[in-house]
Amino acid sequence: MIGSVFIETLKTTWKQMVYWGVGLSAMAILVVIMVPLFNMQDMRNLLESFPPVILAMIGVGQELEIFATNEGFVAIGFFGKSALIFAVYPVVMGMRITANEEDSGTMDVLLSLPIERARVIVEKFLAYGVSCVGVVLLIYLGLHIGVLFGGVELDVLRLAEVTFYLIPLMVFIMAATMLIAVLARRRVVALGIVTAFVIASYMLQTIGLAAEGTVAEPLGVISFLTYYNAGDILAQGFIWPHIAGYVGLSVLLLLASLYRYERRDIGV
Amino acid sequence: MASDSVIEISGLSKTYGSGDKGTLALNRLDLRVNRGEIFGYLGPNGAGKTTTIRLLLDLIRPSAGSARIFGLDIRNDSVEIHRRIGFLPGELTLWEGRTGRQIIDYVGSVRGDAKGIAKHADELAERLNLDTSKRVRDLSSGNKRKLGLVIAMMHSPELLILDEPTGGLDPLVQQTFHEMMDEYRDKGKTVFLSSHVLSEVQAICDRVGILRDGELKAVESVEKITNVEFHWVDVTFRDAIPAGLPQQLEALPSITDVSTNGARIRMRMLGDFDPLLRAISSGYVETLHVEEPSLEEIFLAFYSGDKES
Repeated sequence: MIGSVFIETLKTTWKQMVYWGVGLSAMAILVVIMVPLFNMQDMRNLLESFPPVILAMIGVGQELEIFATNEGFVAIGFFGKSALIFAVYPVVMGMRITANEEDSGTMDVLLSLPIERARVIVEKFLAYGVSCVGVVLLIYLGLHIGVLFGGVELDVLRLAEVTFYLIPLMVFIMAATMLIAVLARRRVVALGIVTAFVIASYMLQTIGLAAEGTVAEPLGVISFLTYYNAGDILAQGFIWPHIAGYVGLSVLLLLASLYRYERRDIGV
Repeated sequence: MASDSVIEISGLSKTYGSGDKGTLALNRLDLRVNRGEIFGYLGPNGAGKTTTIRLLLDLIRPSAGSARIFGLDIRNDSVEIHRRIGFLPGELTLWEGRTGRQIIDYVGSVRGDAKGIAKHADELAERLNLDTSKRVRDLSSGNKRKLGLVIAMMHSPELLILDEPTGGLDPLVQQTFHEMMDEYRDKGKTVFLSSHVLSEVQAICDRVGILRDGELKAVESVEKITNVEFHWVDVTFRDAIPAGLPQQLEALPSITDVSTNGARIRMRMLGDFDPLLRAISSGYVETLHVEEPSLEEIFLAFYSGDKES
């Protein structure tokens, strides 16, 4: 039956989705209730005193005005700083699409049923994509809870774009992880490559931001994290070309995974 | 038994890896399994049994050759084939956090008839004395195996492909399994099973194929293969092996491979026990142990020629 793998995947994933969502949401609440403790003008002065490399490492570009607001503080304190944390969940989910089941042997049982390999991948990809949306919704809920209980003046709607921008980012990371797992076959190998990929992207983003105006600046362009900049999103709203880039690349990665998985041995 | 083939394998080969590091796991396999028979696929570990099964299921792709099940190509028509077969892997792994019932429902929903399948699954579970309310991680290896059998059989497939089906099952459940296989055959369905348990093969199989080092060495009826059945016999004397007994045993036409170790004498015996019992009666026999030969040993005896065969 069409959708059976999708439904089963959701059934087996919702708890992890809630755990991750609640955990990240708690971090968001913590950052929000810390807002009154800071004077934003002092914050701006502090940021101005930082060298570019430090600003880059916490995800801040040149738009310091943005960060001298309550929303900007949350953008730096939570969304900017946590880029690598947001990458962990989609990596875990991406590994589950093929690698975990192949390593454990359950993929043999699943693929001995009347179901195409492509359908297994697409339905699992969609289910884990939905779980990413669930995690992001819980994060957004955390921002509201922080405002409610912290008595903080915060325009949560302005942060909605920064929050929901996480969805295409997480889906892209999941798609990249899936392709790496499909190519590498073994879970441990795939996990090593994905970890290196994410850390290298973070380093390239940092170098790109820190070295603006130098020959090293273009390095940031090839990092997927460069296209998720909380300050830019806060200033400009959804940056549709970037979102289209994430979505387009995710589709390409999905198609590449389907192509390769259809042609290779399972669990060897 | 109808003579039409359910499985037709032609020149099927599989090499893992490539170049000098490649390992030939299956070499130009030609085999036909007929409708309504229970076919035993035998061989030692690493002979290529599981590779053959995984090729038939389209889990791995052949390096050469082709195979058809129900006249359908294993690659192009795999979904239709899988609809009509049931499969039990040798090393069964199921979703650890799910209960047997949840897995049965999941597999049933993928097959597209969850309700109808679940009813038959309940009957099978009851017959195998399986509690489907437990999580897989809480099941013993034998109960996991039972769950695997339920999943393989719950949609009443036309063809069952079973890799070492009774490993870990207790003797009573093995007996139930044998009865189920007989019923399958009576319904005109086909079973392709790999095994290395002689008694199981003798009890349920019609024909056997013997695989060794990736090559099919023989396809024979079970009667023919097991006609050359022999035993390993260990005799331990209380004091010492009577003088001249090893030579006396060697001279018997039904005994070979005599070896001694202290007061213990070991031999390979073909046929009746009486000549052996008469020969050893000159000493005080403390223990006598009779060991069933492995299938490979029977196969080697069958093809290398034995004293009496």
